[in-house]
Amino acid sequence: MRISRARTDILPYVLLSPAVVATLLVVFVPIVQAASYSLMSFILWKPRARGFVFLANYRAMLSDPVFWISLKNSLVWIVGVVILQLLLGLGTALLLNREFAWRGLARALILIPWVTPSVLTALMWRWMYDGNAGVINDLLVRVGILKEYFPFLANGKTALGAIMVALMWQGFPFFAIMILAGLQAIPLELYEAAEVDGAGPGRKFFRVTLPLLVPVLFTAILLRIIWVANSLDIIFIMTEGGPGYSTYTLPLYSYLKAYRGMDFGYGSTLAVTITILLAAVVAFYVARTLKSGDQL
Amino acid sequence: MKKLCTVLVVLALAAGAAAAQTAVRYWYHLDDPNATIDNLIQKFQNENPTVTLQAERIPWGSYNQKLMTAVAANDAPDVFEVKLWWQPQLVEMGALAPIDSYLASWPLKSDVFPNVWQLTRYTDGTQYLMPYQMVILYLYYRTDLFKAAGLKPPATRDEFLDDARKLTHDGVYGFGMRGAAGGHDFWAAFVLSSGAQIFDKNGKSGLTSKAAIDANQWYIDLYRKWKVCPPTAPADGFKETIANMKSGKTAMTIHHFGSSAEMEAALGDKISAVPVPRGLMGSWTSFGDGELAIWSGSKVKDAAWKYLAFLGTAENNALWQKASGQVSINVSNGQTKEASSNRFMKATVDSASFAQILPAVPAVNDFVGTVWPATMQRALNGEISSEQMMKAFEDLFSRK
Repeated sequence: MRISRARTDILPYVLLSPAVVATLLVVFVPIVQAASYSLMSFILWKPRARGFVFLANYRAMLSDPVFWISLKNSLVWIVGVVILQLLLGLGTALLLNREFAWRGLARALILIPWVTPSVLTALMWRWMYDGNAGVINDLLVRVGILKEYFPFLANGKTALGAIMVALMWQGFPFFAIMILAGLQAIPLELYEAAEVDGAGPGRKFFRVTLPLLVPVLFTAILLRIIWVANSLDIIFIMTEGGPGYSTYTLPLYSYLKAYRGMDFGYGSTLAVTITILLAAVVAFYVARTLKSGDQL
Repeated sequence: MKKLCTVLVVLALAAGAAAAQTAVRYWYHLDDPNATIDNLIQKFQNENPTVTLQAERIPWGSYNQKLMTAVAANDAPDVFEVKLWWQPQLVEMGALAPIDSYLASWPLKSDVFPNVWQLTRYTDGTQYLMPYQMVILYLYYRTDLFKAAGLKPPATRDEFLDDARKLTHDGVYGFGMRGAAGGHDFWAAFVLSSGAQIFDKNGKSGLTSKAAIDANQWYIDLYRKWKVCPPTAPADGFKETIANMKSGKTAMTIHHFGSSAEMEAALGDKISAVPVPRGLMGSWTSFGDGELAIWSGSKVKDAAWKYLAFLGTAENNALWQKASGQVSINVSNGQTKEASSNRFMKATVDSASFAQILPAVPAVNDFVGTVWPATMQRALNGEISSEQMMKAFEDLFSRK
């Protein structure tokens, strides 16, 4: 029996359609909805005032000091956390790539922060930082670095940094595992050839390891930028954005506006802005990296 | 065959009874995870066999959000717990059914404290809310620490500061300030009693007068200048202030009858309570409330009212308070021996004459939920001045 030409042409679309329909329903529809809310006055408890205001929410956003604070915090948050995770992950991967006893166990244990639920991670770190009974304060006082307990999460100067450390801890295994996989894919002959040419460990790292890791690093960094930019659960549980606005990031501000203030219009405006900014960053990053990838 | 007939008859009767049942959806919350109101619900079912109460316990952290979205989605429960400061927004949404007509024929209305009716009535004169519990904020203090320092519990703002400074030493702090959400009650007790008013008599802002800014500065100074509060105060919420008091980290804090049982369990007779200190212009303490409302979209309002009336009677209300640890709204429950011999109840009753609520305007929800904590924390950390802080509140309350 022969399958007609027309049927084979349609078949891929038929097979794909459930996935496409599902994606449209759960991703595309909410995006369009959020975009339309962002152009509306949509405060849940003011049903009579609901209606299109076009760009008024965006104008209000540009003159909203909390938006600018949140944007600045978001930048510090994304750049800081991704770099910290990358460096720690790279170091861990290089160590785990060496031969040592119980290496298999170490590779498994390194995943623990990554598989711990965010809520648990946040609560754990909150108690560790606690200004009255936290273990971090206890240790720092015992070794003499601090004279008295310091309220890390209650001080506007340290709160964001403290949460970034917690997120670094949670996310570095992802980098470690990705980079480890990349390291194992590098053929040993390259190192041998480099050694024959007289390269030391530093040269081998910068001339062989790092260039060959670029594709892996590229993917990992891209994914992490998106995840870290959108993560608000840990901040929400550790400080709820406080003290003051010192740990407000854009996604958190959007969440608080929508669900605490019941202002879905302005909350959506902030969410759409995050999406646009993030899409721009990702597009720029992809374009740059593809270009440099061609040159390799 | 006869047996089968009997079974069929019983089944038919049961089906008939089931059809006559009215289901009432009910949302509530209790702070104490170990407390239940199963006995109360059972009692209601026994007394009202035609109504099925579908009670759902909602975690407090997401209660307001769930309620608001349920109302907006036209899928709210028939009966739900409400806080007074949500009333303006819920009225604006048209979510509340007036209960005046039910109350008119309810014989037990006079057994509810008259000032509770007064406080819960909406500004348009309609009664939407059925009160079922109340608390009044008072000042907890450590009797042993006061005695050791030769001090008496403070009656005025100045005595309070004086005591707090004397009690702050060796890792103990005079006052457990709550800088995170919910701490506006602490703030109001000192600031709204000493010259600041959210609205003055003419409805204008009374937040940025010199007296108001000074009163606010006095409160900020407790933390920044006199350092009589734990360094963690800006981030301390309910759990932290209570835990600090129980562990001996603080000598005074503000809360209500609801925590008195656990305070007494932890500290025995080393803890007592008095009304909050008097400010420069008089006393101000927060009337903490709990009301039930009937959803305007409910199709079973009459059955829903039965539960409101049930919880409003002294006997049932006392059962509720046993679970919630709060104070009954019934006059007759306040006169029991048990109530009058309790020192925490006494501090509550002694505060009743000046207990107040924040003004019934929609902005109060934002004030309590986000603006007060964020602004207070910034002032405590020295990012903004007292004047900027009060200006931020004025802007919020003047927004249309």
